[in-house]
Amino acid sequence: MNAIEISGIKKSFQNVHALKGVDLAIRQGEFFGLLGPNGAGKTTLISAIMGLVRPDAGAIQVMGLDNRQEPMAAKKLMALCPQEINVHTYFPIQKIMEFQGGFYGFDRKTSKQRAEELLKRFGLWEKRKVGKFNLSGGMQRRLMIARSLMSDPKILILDEPTAGVDVELRHELWDFLKTINQNGRTILLTTHYIEEAEQLCGRVAIIHEGKIVACDTPQKLIVQHGQKGKPVRRFVRPGTLEEVFVNLTGKRMEEAQQWEMAPRL
Amino acid sequence: MGNGTPFVTLLRQEWFRFTRLWKQTIFPPIVTTILFILIFGFSLGDRIREIHGLSYILFIVPGLAAMGAMMNAHTNCSFALYMSRFDQSIDNMLAAPLRSIELVTAFLWGGIARGMLVGLVTLAVSLLLLKQPPYHLGWTLFFLITQTVFFGCWGIVGALRAKTWDNLATAQNFIITPLIYLGGVFYSVDLLPGIWRTISGFNPLLYMIDGTRYGVLGVHDLSLLTSAGLSAGMSLGMFALCVILFQKGYRLVR
Ligand SMILES: Nc1ncnc2c1ncn2[C@@H]1O[C@H](COP(=O)(O)OP(=O)(O)OP(=O)(O)O)[C@@H](O)[C@H]1O
Ligand SMILES: [Mg+2]
Repeated sequence: MNAIEISGIKKSFQNVHALKGVDLAIRQGEFFGLLGPNGAGKTTLISAIMGLVRPDAGAIQVMGLDNRQEPMAAKKLMALCPQEINVHTYFPIQKIMEFQGGFYGFDRKTSKQRAEELLKRFGLWEKRKVGKFNLSGGMQRRLMIARSLMSDPKILILDEPTAGVDVELRHELWDFLKTINQNGRTILLTTHYIEEAEQLCGRVAIIHEGKIVACDTPQKLIVQHGQKGKPVRRFVRPGTLEEVFVNLTGKRMEEAQQWEMAPRL
Repeated sequence: MGNGTPFVTLLRQEWFRFTRLWKQTIFPPIVTTILFILIFGFSLGDRIREIHGLSYILFIVPGLAAMGAMMNAHTNCSFALYMSRFDQSIDNMLAAPLRSIELVTAFLWGGIARGMLVGLVTLAVSLLLLKQPPYHLGWTLFFLITQTVFFGCWGIVGALRAKTWDNLATAQNFIITPLIYLGGVFYSVDLLPGIWRTISGFNPLLYMIDGTRYGVLGVHDLSLLTSAGLSAGMSLGMFALCVILFQKGYRLVR
């Protein structure tokens, strides 16, 4: 049984075809990377897995459970670290963390303990009494990761978790994610950082304009799509995932990602 | 891990949301209502003749308490949900294993709690000032609760439909406030000339306010059974509508 099995997912927003038939299987215990340029459909796909986007066609199974037939059971297995900082604007972050534990069934005492552990683990304990506007961008990202861990999920889905985080912290986070993956969690991660995908992911799918254009281990992708006779562009390191990405999407991977601040209403 | 924990957490979250700001959410409406009573009751009341054998000031107390309960239930629900859509924290709740009925009940609970607090404190203070015990506590609570449910759910629907903060204020200013004022807070429908009486009969709030007045003072213009049935039916209907909208993901699921 796969951790997540996506078959034939299509989704359009008005006239934008965000997903044009996506098939993907993420195995249990895998560290899986989803790479794609801006607007490729990564967040839409992840939102469909979480039940936040309703696909026009196709089905998604989470540990064998159809996420539309059995949403409660499917949701209990997953947690999302979203691209946007979607927390109650004025809630102290300690409350945000504690409520999150409660949503997944932890009693108050356990939620309190877990919140304290995670806030300390991510260097946010000193800030526990303040809301999101009193946190720096990097702290906000850390809060999202910490919150996604509150429920101790079997499957952790991270949508560009390290965007805007400084290098030192990013490396620390990588170690942390590697450890929790080795402890048996399935991780699905989207990223714009090649190094991140190369360092962490056992397998990588490249999504471009709503379609998966390649899916394999980074090494195999480099062999298959690395140098296809096309002239290697300037600034692109040959023999890397970056080159694969450029060849398949015609776009450079971005160094920094700005997340949308505008509400989707 | 208890089974009820996620739902109880949702309730605690909504309680936290408005009590955290009690100086802005609970205190002002109570002061406003008491000011109403002082102004309309004590200063102008003497010039208005008695209604149903009650002094004017006493007559308007239940309507004012009902108005406070309705408006605060509506405001709380609509702002809490719209804010959650605005900062996208609703996505986090939708991604968690929480049922539609639990989410609706939690948002509604915030409105009921705030509406009831305002309504009951207003009532208690006014009745103490006027040295009047409530006539029938059970009916008083019944009507206040059904009102807060109805208006809370109305606020939830409004928050789902709204595309801007202005939309929320517009509903309050141009629909809800007039309906409440025309619902007989300040007068008895018996005093209206024929045609206006008939038109007023289509305002569901009239029945809710008249019922509250029966609970508090024991006087009513309309059939108690009609008022009770309408209030219960309309609040249940609105609640069902909210749950269906959540289940369908109306304006929530993209
Ligand atoms: N709610 C929406 N309404 C309309 N269009 C949308 C909506 N959400 C996404 N889209 C469109 O769908 C496409 C895919 O968007 P998506 O957010 O999935 O991209 P992404 O791969 O996550 O990009 P990024 O790297 O910038 O986060 C884009 O063209 C986007 O404009
Ligand atoms: Mg995205």
